[in-house]
Amino acid sequence: MIGFIFRRLLASIPTLLAVLTLVFLLVRVVPGDPAIAILGDRATPETLAALRAELGLDRWIGTQYFEFLGHALRGDLGTSMVTHRAVWTEIAEALPHTIVLTLAAMAIGCMIGIPAGVCAALHRNGTIDVLTRLLSLLGLSFPVFVSGIFLLIVFALQLHLFPVIGNPRPGDWIDGLHKLVLPAITLGIVMAAYVVRVTRSSMLQVLGEDYIRTARAKGVPRRSIIWRHGLSNALIPVVTVVGLYVGILIGNSVLTEIVFNRPGLGKVIVSALTQRDYTMLQGIMVIYCFLIVVVNLITDISYGLIDPRVKQ
Amino acid sequence: MTLRITLSAAIAAATIVAIPARAAPRTDLKVGMAAQDVGQLDPHRAVSTIDRTVVAWIYNGLVRFKPGAMDPAQIEPDLAEKWESSSDKLDWTFHLRHDVKFHGDFGELTADDVVYSLKRASDAKASAFSADFAAFKTVEATDPYTVRIVLARQVPSLLGLVTNYSGGYIVSRKAVEKYGADFTRNPVGTGPFAFVSDTPNQSLELAAFDSYFRGKPKLEHVSYRYIPSDSSRDLAFQNGEIDLIYGKQDQAWINRIRALPNSVVDVFEPGELANFNLNITAKPLDDIRVRQAIAYAVNRPELVKWQGADTARPGQSVIPAGYLGFSKDVGLVNTDVAKAKALLKDAGYPDGVTIKIIHTQLPQMLGSMQVVQAQLRKAGINLDIQVVDHATFHQQIRKDLSPIVYYAAARFPVADIYLTQFFHSASIVGKPTAVTNFSHCDVADKEIDAAKIETDTEKQVALWVEAQKKIVAAVCAVPLAEALQIWAHRTDLDYGYELKASLSLGPLLTEATHFK
Repeated sequence: MIGFIFRRLLASIPTLLAVLTLVFLLVRVVPGDPAIAILGDRATPETLAALRAELGLDRWIGTQYFEFLGHALRGDLGTSMVTHRAVWTEIAEALPHTIVLTLAAMAIGCMIGIPAGVCAALHRNGTIDVLTRLLSLLGLSFPVFVSGIFLLIVFALQLHLFPVIGNPRPGDWIDGLHKLVLPAITLGIVMAAYVVRVTRSSMLQVLGEDYIRTARAKGVPRRSIIWRHGLSNALIPVVTVVGLYVGILIGNSVLTEIVFNRPGLGKVIVSALTQRDYTMLQGIMVIYCFLIVVVNLITDISYGLIDPRVKQ
Repeated sequence: MTLRITLSAAIAAATIVAIPARAAPRTDLKVGMAAQDVGQLDPHRAVSTIDRTVVAWIYNGLVRFKPGAMDPAQIEPDLAEKWESSSDKLDWTFHLRHDVKFHGDFGELTADDVVYSLKRASDAKASAFSADFAAFKTVEATDPYTVRIVLARQVPSLLGLVTNYSGGYIVSRKAVEKYGADFTRNPVGTGPFAFVSDTPNQSLELAAFDSYFRGKPKLEHVSYRYIPSDSSRDLAFQNGEIDLIYGKQDQAWINRIRALPNSVVDVFEPGELANFNLNITAKPLDDIRVRQAIAYAVNRPELVKWQGADTARPGQSVIPAGYLGFSKDVGLVNTDVAKAKALLKDAGYPDGVTIKIIHTQLPQMLGSMQVVQAQLRKAGINLDIQVVDHATFHQQIRKDLSPIVYYAAARFPVADIYLTQFFHSASIVGKPTAVTNFSHCDVADKEIDAAKIETDTEKQVALWVEAQKKIVAAVCAVPLAEALQIWAHRTDLDYGYELKASLSLGPLLTEATHFK
C-alpha cells in the first residue's frame, strides 16, 4: 500500500508541474493589468510603470516563469502583489476553513444520500422512490447562492438560530461548529442529490445480480442481503462520484463562502482574480490542484478498502 | 424629625432603585462593506472606495473639509492650525498644531513628517496621485512646526491638494521607513482611529486613538467587515449584525432598506457623473454629425427614471454639478430622435450605423449602458457591446480599444481637475502624461490652461465655463447621469455631524461619532 501511495504521489509531480506552467501562463493571458487594478484611474503611466517594475512584471516572461518555478519548487509561493501578505500565510489561514466545510458537506451528502438512495432502490417506482427522485432533482436545480440565502432568511432572520455573518471566532470551536451548520447543509444538499441518484441506480443494478438472487434463495436475511452483499458492491461507483464531486465541492465552496461570509480559499481566489493578483492566483491554483490529486489518491485507496478484488 | 429624615431617605433610595438604569450606549461599530478584501491602506495608493473609506478614519491632512461637506469654501484647519500665502498664491506657509501624536509609538507629528508625506505624494514611484502635485517646486520645514510650500505656477486650489483627500494625507515618516513596502498593511496616521489588525478577506479592526488631538473618540472599536454578497450584507444589516452598510445606487434597494425598522438611508454627494466619451479620432465618430446624432438620441430623464429619483440626477454638463466652475448653460441638446436620424443620414449612414464598444460587467454600469443602447437604437445607432470584467475594461479602454467609453467619476470639486483629466490633450490615453482622456478631445486646452493660472476667480470661472461649452459643442462627451453615494445606518448611530457629502465616498467617522 505504501509503495502504491508513493508511486501515485510520484506520478502527480508532472501533473503539478504542468499545472504550475499552465497557471502561470493563464493568469498572464487573461487581459487586465495588476498595476491599473492597484493604482486606479488617476495614476500616470510613469507611476504605473514604476509599480510594474516594483512587481517584476516588466521583466522578460521567461525570467519571471523560471523564477516562479524555482521558488514554487522550494515551497515559496511568494508575496501577494496587492496586499503584500505572504501567499503561504494567507492560504494556510484560509485552507482549513475550506477543508472543514468540504468535509462537513461531504459527510452530510453521504449521510443523507446513501441511505436515501438505498431506500429508493428498495422501493423502486414506489412513493418513496418518486419522492426521493423529486427531492434530488430539486437539490440539483438550486444553485447554492439561492439555497444559501433561503436558509439564511429562514434560520437567521426568522428563527434567529444562526448569524448571517459566518466567520467563526478564532480558537472557539463551538462557535466554529455553530457557524458551519448552514454552509455545510447548503453544500451538502447538492452533494446528497448526486449521491442519491448514483446510489439508487447502482443498488438497482446490484440487486438484480445473480449472486443476490442466490443469497435470497439460500435464505440469507434481507438486512444482510441489502447492506452486506448489495451496498458494499454498489459503493464503488458511489465512491467514484464522491471523489469526483469533492473537486466540484471545492469549487462550489467559493459561492458558499461568499454567501455566508466565511473565510476560505474561495474568497481569496475571487479577491485575487478581481485584482489580478498573479502571485496569489498562482499559489491558490497550485493548492487546488494538489488537493484534487490528494482526493483522487484517497478515492483510489478507498476502492481497495471497499472491494478487496481491486487491491489484487 | 429623625423618623422624617429616615423616611425621606428611604423614599429617595426607593425612587433611585425604581428608575431603571439606562444601558450605556454601545461603543463598537460594525461596518459592512461590499468588498472581498481591503487593498491599499497606504493613503497615497488608496484609490478604491473600499480603501478610501477606511483611510479617511486613520489619517488627517493639513486642512480638511468640514465633516459632512465637500465645499472648498468650507475647508477648515486640521493638522495645520493656520496658514498664509503670498499675494501671487505661489508661496504658502502652514503652521502645525503642537502635540499631535501619531498612532502607536511613532511620536509627535512634526514638519518633517509633513514634508516627507507631501514629497512622497508627489513621487510617481510611491503615489497614485503624483500628477496632482506637478506644480510643487519645493516643500520644506522652516522649523519643527512650520511647513513652506513654493509652487512653480498657480494651481486652482492649493488647499484642495493638502486636504484630507487623495495625496493630502500625512503619514509618519518613521513608520514608512520602518515598514517599507509593508506600510500598506501597517498604516500609521494621526486620525481618530488606529489600525489594530487585518484578517484577510474577513475584516479590518480599528481602535479609538485615545491621544487623538481633537479628543478621545466616543466609539472605542470599529470593525470594517468585507461582505461581498449584496444579499448577505443586506440580511446582516436587517438582522442587526451590522450598524453601517454600503448600499446600492438602486431605487428598489433604497425603498426596501427605508422600509426596515431602525434604519436610515444616507444619500450624499459627490455625484459620480457618467459621461459617454466619444473618440473624436476614430471612425465613424470622427464625423461630428455622428457624435451629434448620439447627443440627440440620448434621453437623460429616462435614464434617471430607470436609475431612481433618489440616487440619480441628469448630467447637466461634462463636469459634475456643483463643482467650482460648473455651468448648466453649456449648450447641451435635448432628445430629438428625428434630428439624430437626419444627422446620421447627412453623415452618410441612412440605414444606421453599428459601433463596436467595450464595457464592464459591473451590474450597475452594464444596466445603464443597456438603457442607453436601447435609446440609441431608436435613432439607428447600434452599439455592439463586448462585455468584459472590470479589470479588463480598465486595461482595454486605456489602449484605445473602445471608441465609446462609458465612464463615471467624481473628483475634487473644482472644474480644473475633471476638465484636465478627461478633456485636456495631455491626458489623452496612450500619451506618457495620459490620465483618462478617452475622447482625444483637445478643443479646450487653451481655456483649461489659462484657468489654471488665472488669479481672478471670476475670470477663472468664465474660462472653465467656456471650456465646457467648447467640449459640448465638439461633442467630445455626452453627459448621462450623476449617481449619488448610498449607504445606510441604524437609527441609534449618530455621525456627530450632518452627512451631506464625503469625498472619501463613505461616511467619515470622527471623534464625535457615537451610538445614542
